[in-house]
Amino acid sequence: MATRTADAERAGERRRGRARAAAPTEVRPNPLREGLRLERMAEPCTMIICGATGDLTDRKLAPALYNTLLGGFLPPEFTVVGFARRELSDRDFREHLLESINTHSRNRPVKPAIWESFARGIEYHRGDLDDPAAYRELAKRLDRIDRDRGTAGNRLFYLAVPPNLYPEIVNQLDRAGLAAPGERRRSGSRRGWTRVIIEKPFGWDVDSARTLNRELAEVFDEEQIYRIDHYLGKETVQNMAVFRFGNGLFEPIWNRRYIDSVQITVAETVGVEGRSEFYDQTGALRDIVQNHGLQLVAVFAMEPPVEFRAEDLRDEKLKVLRGVKPMSPADVAANTVRGQYVSGWVEGERIQSYRDESEVSPDSETETFVALKLGIDSWRWAGVPFYLRTGKTLPSRVTEIAVQFKRAPLTLFARAGVSQVEPNVLAIRVQPDEGILLRFGAKVPGQGLQIRSVNMDFRYGASFAVDSPDAYETLLLDAMVGDPSLFTRDDEVERAWEILDPILTAWGSGEGGPLHFYAAGSWGPPAADELLERDGRTWRRP
Amino acid sequence: MTRATAADEKSVHRRLMRFGEAESLTTPMWEERDTSVHAVAQHLGSLWDASSSASAESEPVVAEKGMPHARASVLNLIVTVVDDAAADRVVHTLMGLGVRHPSRAIVLVPEPGRGTGPLDARISTHCNDVAGGGDRVCYEEVVLTVRGDAAAHLSGVVAPLLIHDLPTSVWWPGDPPFADPVFDQLVEMGDHLIVDSSDFGDLLGGLRRLANVRRRSGVGDLAWERLRWWHELTAQFFDAPRFRRYLPNLSRLHIRYALAPAASRSPQDKDVAPAVAAPMTQALLYAGWIATRLAWRRHRTLEPLGDGGFRLRLEGRYEMVELLVQPTVTDEVDPGELLSVRLASVGEAGAAQFIIDRERDDAIVATNADGMTALLRRVSMETPQEAELLSSQLTMDVVDPLYEAALRAAAILLACAREAAA
Repeated sequence: MATRTADAERAGERRRGRARAAAPTEVRPNPLREGLRLERMAEPCTMIICGATGDLTDRKLAPALYNTLLGGFLPPEFTVVGFARRELSDRDFREHLLESINTHSRNRPVKPAIWESFARGIEYHRGDLDDPAAYRELAKRLDRIDRDRGTAGNRLFYLAVPPNLYPEIVNQLDRAGLAAPGERRRSGSRRGWTRVIIEKPFGWDVDSARTLNRELAEVFDEEQIYRIDHYLGKETVQNMAVFRFGNGLFEPIWNRRYIDSVQITVAETVGVEGRSEFYDQTGALRDIVQNHGLQLVAVFAMEPPVEFRAEDLRDEKLKVLRGVKPMSPADVAANTVRGQYVSGWVEGERIQSYRDESEVSPDSETETFVALKLGIDSWRWAGVPFYLRTGKTLPSRVTEIAVQFKRAPLTLFARAGVSQVEPNVLAIRVQPDEGILLRFGAKVPGQGLQIRSVNMDFRYGASFAVDSPDAYETLLLDAMVGDPSLFTRDDEVERAWEILDPILTAWGSGEGGPLHFYAAGSWGPPAADELLERDGRTWRRP
Repeated sequence: MTRATAADEKSVHRRLMRFGEAESLTTPMWEERDTSVHAVAQHLGSLWDASSSASAESEPVVAEKGMPHARASVLNLIVTVVDDAAADRVVHTLMGLGVRHPSRAIVLVPEPGRGTGPLDARISTHCNDVAGGGDRVCYEEVVLTVRGDAAAHLSGVVAPLLIHDLPTSVWWPGDPPFADPVFDQLVEMGDHLIVDSSDFGDLLGGLRRLANVRRRSGVGDLAWERLRWWHELTAQFFDAPRFRRYLPNLSRLHIRYALAPAASRSPQDKDVAPAVAAPMTQALLYAGWIATRLAWRRHRTLEPLGDGGFRLRLEGRYEMVELLVQPTVTDEVDPGELLSVRLASVGEAGAAQFIIDRERDDAIVATNADGMTALLRRVSMETPQEAELLSSQLTMDVVDPLYEAALRAAAILLACAREAAA
């Protein structure tokens, strides 16, 4: 009986369905997508690379797109438009990308048949980035692509150009009618969206950052702007949230009661390598600390967000940065060390002094090394020093966050001849071999009582050996999906500059302490060691 | 010449690692005949003891800075095989797996009624240098030939050898003896049972049994894992809202799958193509997946099962649907692999066709919908190696509701096709 009723219902549904099916059933999710492992598919869209013939496209964007394609994350409609001044045909541009991928991609060589099919959706748009006509033509081209390839008016602009060109491009996009945020759907997502990705540096100091943000805001809503900081795309940085909030064990001790201090190291072995002109005007503080350094601090120290959503995450990160109080000139002298490398040996190669680099002035005061002691004035972190250091031509290329826990309160084993127990250390390695390491003391087997530190080591490479996507792959896909969690918001950028401005000013005026020198291949100037020794601590040797 | 050459293995490694090359180092094997579980357990314990002679002979397992390096283990893996040849094949697969899932693997070869002592054991450890880190990941595998009465009590043999507090997976390659109490015993020990339903001798019985395995855990199926890309590509058609509207009006699903040419189908000729007992499995699971996702139900058999093909009429929510499953003889891809899927829709939304055609390592994906441009593209579709399939099954959540639903539906579809035949 029940079955018959159900059958009758189905028959009725079938009849109604025929009529109804003519109307778009867009609100319904795709039932075949549910439960599949690749849940993050990019929406159909066109990605326009402004400045498409540059280095960034070659080294990062082209390989990232190809690998995202291989991973199955790009929809069939996906289209790329390269936009630049150089005279190229579509075919030239495709060849150019193909070559870049074959040189730089983690999956290579390119599979010809796959490439051929993908390349049909790659076009080149020649034009000057300051020529209104070029943008009008671009608008027409994009409309045509929407019609031909079903990209539904969704556009992602990647500004792969120097930051001083951002305002010009953004204004041109606006004037050509290419900056509309799209129509909001009931679900909150947008139809026919436009998003824009920009690369650091986001300004030069507080004022220039505010100006840039204002100029962007005149054309785009904040939710359309994706400021890329590729460190946030790294697996370990994302895993930090899982590590802290997905485990019951760590979060309870993630505070001033148990943590003695935190050390963050962003070390590079390379010198300035062809970027000397840019670098000489920038320095390590602007180049690394303003973005990667402070973002690592923020992700490490933030409170649990209300939900794991972009705005909540960024609110929490901002709170951390607001807790970092700007320094007085005297604080700068006491709590910062700046250094510049002189000639030395790194990885068996001789490195010339920074001041001997071409395009670096012989009396340059630019810092290639910074060590900072920061404090976060919050209930959780008050009194816990955060030591941050970054530099060029250091002995190894490594980025890590090391948490030193407080010592055991009592040396129970003193009578057995153990004078001091080493504190526990938890090191979160961001690169090169991403992973987490916990160091704790263990008894050396035998009759006597000897304690030795041992490592409990978790490595991504060892435990998963999965194809950790390159940071650019993660972030590009995020931007296509519309998830800004791992991108920096305007207020975060400005706050970071508010923290660093007083340091730059004090250094400039000479009140912030002298510029120290260190030999290439060393871990920075002795003054950096003294910064910690004063507090009875030492830098880790990562 | 076996299919799995050294080059194959290397490529598996690379694909699994994606970090670069993994340098594999195998310690000399410990081998003992007529031994006991106790002796094996003791030897396993001593393997990682820095002072023992076993590891002193080989390179010491010590990481940089003189710190003793912890062995990496993320799971216990129990594998039961029918004979030594199968054990060798499994060991080979595990080599490709080790880097990604460092495990204690215990390979059981039950041989009831043969030999004198209860147990022959073979233990080897493998260490892989992880690129870039100067670090080493080590894991071990134990091959046990269990004879006599002990072969009927495998769980007792295995239990003392597992690493505590690690998830345990039971991989049963080939055709598992579903009716044998030993099967239940071992499945009970694991959190996760992994089979390959393409190897089932009695496909319908196997699918039904699998759907009802009494367990505290999930079931994984390598045949299902092989369909991963097909699922993905199919779902992609309907990610675009403009094509999603055709979904309710799908009226035909045509699946073609590969059958080995008669010449290479003899069971002795394993080198030409791996023997696949039930090549129709993937096609059935795929159809079962679509049917459960779109709420199609059995209705009538149009052409009963014959020569590996059948035609059914199913009842969709809005349309009657014709399901056609057809074998095609080819040696271009492994037998059992899908060759093409065509979904067709009629109705007021207009006619549309969604096509995936396999061409060796690629697939051509096309959409023909009236008034719309046909989107045609070529995507990569390499047949994954067994190690890769196993590896991704081990990564997944142990319970996969999608699979379980598809499995039940596949059994129903097959029963439907058979009933009419009988």
